[in-house]
Amino acid sequence: MTEAKFAIVALTTALLAPQAIAAQIAPRVEAGALVTQQDGGLPVNNLRLAPGVSYERGGFSINARGAAWLSEQQQWQLADGSIRGMFTSPTVYGVRAEMISNASRAFSDQSLGDDQVDVQTRIHVLFKQRGGIWVGGGLARPWRVAVISSVDVTGGGAWTKLGNATMSGMLTNFSFTKVAPTLDSTNTAVSCGTAATRLPTPGASASAFALLEAAPPACSRQSRFSDAEASIHWEQGALEVNAQGGYRFGSSYDVTPDSRRWSAATATVWMSDRVALVAGGGRQPANVARGIPSRTYGTVGLTLAYWPMPKGVVPVATPKALLVKSFEVRPAAPGMQKIIIRVGGVETVDVMGDFSDWSPLTLVRHGRDLWELTVPLSPGQHQINVRVDGGLWVAPPGVPTMRDGFNGEVGILVVPNDK
Amino acid sequence: MSRHLSSLRAAVRLVGLVAVRAGAQTSDPLFKLDQTSRFVVDATIDSAKVAGLPWNFLILRAREGISKGADSRHIAAAVRARFASLKDARALFGNISDGELNAAAGLLEARGVRPEHLAPLKNQPRGRSIVSALTVLGDLVTKGIPSEEASSAIIKLWQGGAGDADFMGLYHNVESDILQGLNPGIALQNRMRESLGPSGKLLPRAGESETPSP
Repeated sequence: MTEAKFAIVALTTALLAPQAIAAQIAPRVEAGALVTQQDGGLPVNNLRLAPGVSYERGGFSINARGAAWLSEQQQWQLADGSIRGMFTSPTVYGVRAEMISNASRAFSDQSLGDDQVDVQTRIHVLFKQRGGIWVGGGLARPWRVAVISSVDVTGGGAWTKLGNATMSGMLTNFSFTKVAPTLDSTNTAVSCGTAATRLPTPGASASAFALLEAAPPACSRQSRFSDAEASIHWEQGALEVNAQGGYRFGSSYDVTPDSRRWSAATATVWMSDRVALVAGGGRQPANVARGIPSRTYGTVGLTLAYWPMPKGVVPVATPKALLVKSFEVRPAAPGMQKIIIRVGGVETVDVMGDFSDWSPLTLVRHGRDLWELTVPLSPGQHQINVRVDGGLWVAPPGVPTMRDGFNGEVGILVVPNDK
Repeated sequence: MSRHLSSLRAAVRLVGLVAVRAGAQTSDPLFKLDQTSRFVVDATIDSAKVAGLPWNFLILRAREGISKGADSRHIAAAVRARFASLKDARALFGNISDGELNAAAGLLEARGVRPEHLAPLKNQPRGRSIVSALTVLGDLVTKGIPSEEASSAIIKLWQGGAGDADFMGLYHNVESDILQGLNPGIALQNRMRESLGPSGKLLPRAGESETPSP
């Protein structure tokens, strides 16, 4: 009952978040049918309601999501939930540090769930917002009886933007100690490290403890496996497609045959900037540390976004033109004007306008955040756009703007007569 | 030996031909347009030349679209729209400078701005430019202020004798009010009350005395 109330409050909050604070808050609700099937099991159909909200300010963002299922007893039951925070350092010469923390609850079926907290840090090298590579690592701690150590997570990856598509590839290594049967997934006996520890971790459910007690002879063993995953996000007009596939490397003890390969895809059609149809399906690999088996799923539903969620499968910095601290034009030599822009932690700053025949001109860096360029500007009206690190062309701050006729805005400079 | 020489000549010619073609392509600012759109743009430029309009602004419009990654059809449509608005601006303002004509044409493409809104700006006194007035009017319309309301305010300032500094001052004041959370329309109304006296004459700006001190 309390969970149902919580779900209603979360949904109401998400829908009624006032627009005044919506500039950085992005509520979203997904409603639809979810079909899941674990190997050897029957398909399970659920109606699913999943509110979510994200907030972003400066280098900090937080994203909370939840899901409620309509159970067979026609009662709403709180299901998966997660809260994720991310700190991002300023980008200096294209390099930034990121710290990501998660707390989540996941259900393998409607009665058995487990919790996990994890923290990761990574170094992300950006190439003008058109690509990047990262390496990092961290720890995850599942609250699960069979896992008796934290999970060491290390990995790296790369991403790139090509046209309307963002592609990424990553390799993640997992290492942890768990209590497991003395037979591997192909029923072959394996050597045991140490005797099994049968003490449950704090917070483990009684049912999980009972299951462990009833389990066949077990031992404590180090598990290691690696996930190689590739994904693509493509958008064209109102259509967005996300697809991913992966392969798991590891011994047959750690990797069950049904989790060797997986793939999934989701298509989103935005009917307006706040309403979208979503359909997708695929296969999820087992989460070994959390004891969640692999499953096949399909979903179709409707998304209501009070503010469209940020797009992209890889966290990419927001357009940095927003970070331009100041823009100024000062007279230089006769017929020439000096463009002065202050923006820190970036690699390149370009301007273009009628004065350059709309060809980009790169400003010269002076000091930490000062960029300058002297250009020929005759008295009269001129149009100008600015971009940072090869990002979007936007109007510079502090000057009048107009629509540019190409779905953007252009800044207007009025250069007075010399006399 | 002669066979080697003739092969060398042929190679030099081939390289030369490729270089010339590449050079011709890069010197043509519109080579990225598809054939149909290119035809439309060329025809529009020809029409502008015949009509005595500053056609170089049409090339600039196309180059802007190319640099911003717009598709060819969109660019051709933007060039045609600018040609139409240049004609309207010429019909309204007559012989003004090319820069002023292009500024007026750009404004006439803004949503809701019609030539009759700008009519009071024509026949400006010698030496008085309408560029700042048009620029600030364009910005107010871009901020979402209805074009009738924005143009009425700018015309009042113009008729009250406002100069470039007054118009840019209005822009900065309205911008500052909006950043503090005020609705753009209300910010404009407030600032207009500060700028114009009851008789419709421009009030001196802060720090300026009405009569120059000796």
